[in-house]
Amino acid sequence: MLQIDRIVGSRLDEGYSERLHDLEHHGAVEWLMLAAAELARRRFRAVTSGGTEIAVALPRDETLFDGAVLLFEQHRAIVVRVDAERWLRLGVRDMAVALELGYHVGNLHWRVRFEATAICVALEGPAEAYLARLAALGLDDRIEVAAPEAGSAPC
Amino acid sequence: MNGPMAMPLDETFPRSIAARVGIGGPVGSGKTALIEALIPVLQARGVDLAVVTNDLVTREDAERLRRSGLIDPLRVLAVEAGACPHTVIREDPTLNMAAGDDLELRFPGLELILFESGGDNLASTFSLDLVDWWIFVIDVAGGDDIPRKKGPGVLRCDLLVINKQDLAPHVGVNLVQMEADALKVRSNRPVVITDSRRSAGIDAVADRIVRAVLFR
Ligand SMILES: Nc1nc2c(ncn2[C@@H]2O[C@H](COP(=O)(O)OP(=O)(O)OP(=O)(O)O)[C@@H](O)[C@H]2O)c(=O)[nH]1
Ligand SMILES: [Mg+2]
Repeated sequence: MLQIDRIVGSRLDEGYSERLHDLEHHGAVEWLMLAAAELARRRFRAVTSGGTEIAVALPRDETLFDGAVLLFEQHRAIVVRVDAERWLRLGVRDMAVALELGYHVGNLHWRVRFEATAICVALEGPAEAYLARLAALGLDDRIEVAAPEAGSAPC
Repeated sequence: MNGPMAMPLDETFPRSIAARVGIGGPVGSGKTALIEALIPVLQARGVDLAVVTNDLVTREDAERLRRSGLIDPLRVLAVEAGACPHTVIREDPTLNMAAGDDLELRFPGLELILFESGGDNLASTFSLDLVDWWIFVIDVAGGDDIPRKKGPGVLRCDLLVINKQDLAPHVGVNLVQMEADALKVRSNRPVVITDSRRSAGIDAVADRIVRAVLFR
């Protein structure tokens, strides 16, 4: 198993971008695919797209990001690629519902972004699970739900 | 090499980075009992470990572990969580992170720190800023419908422990069904059944920890 104990750079760094591009042409870049919610992890096992088993153990002050280069060798590189985040858009029509929804979403500790008249929730599980919680709170029929598409842009 | 060297306690000294594992779950489910059972099993595997406990306003669990004789009392630190146990493991885990840093400085070679959360509800989860991997402990006596309630703690933890298996016949719980329900809501992510007082199932928990974060 390959030990990774630091991030060596970014895919966008001048020193790496071109050489990574070359390696990619030779099929020598292996991707470590991670869900956005998993980026906060510093210590875990994983298997790259090339089938390499790795053990990641980063210092506490380093955080993974999309494009983090974990290994750079003459004939092989390992780079982090983040799965697109899925967002559930909860639109509201009036102030009373907005306040109520905001209160509950806060209590549930969902990760959100705000729009003028909507709250967008970052999905860490199936959308149905989130909708079920809203239904249990009696909110489902008072909001406008836009189900996410995979890879949809954050609203 | 010039013979033994005193370990300076300053920030510049290259210190160990210990793996950090969280143990959360409802009040009284057996988190401290699980740690008590794990300590000798992990020590027997040569794991150099320490513990941080979280209680509301006391240091009860830390004192219990220090007195247990299982571990050097200096390797047990207590964090007082104040009102909300989940605040110090999720929203603002700085107190716990500082306790972990402190242990790493004091014990060079430290490999693993177990963080016991104060007893909470089924919604409590750990921040990945604090821990690398976390266990959620529920118990049989809480009822076999607990997994079906899909609390975030049950769903998201890296390992779900169903403790107090010995009590199943006494509280009318169908443990086979409870485990099946737990696996189902967790999409088959790991579940281990334990009796922490008699050390049943503890090896399986230790196996998971050692594999996931110590890479052995
Ligand atoms: N029968 C049985 N009792 C257990 C088991 N594990 C723990 N207990 C008992 O359950 C009670 C609570 O255990 P603790 O380990 O203190 O639980 P905890 O989750 O740490 O509790 P808090 O920290 O207060 O939330 C104690 O009386 C334990 O002896 C078990 O597997 N079987
Ligand atoms: Mg306890």
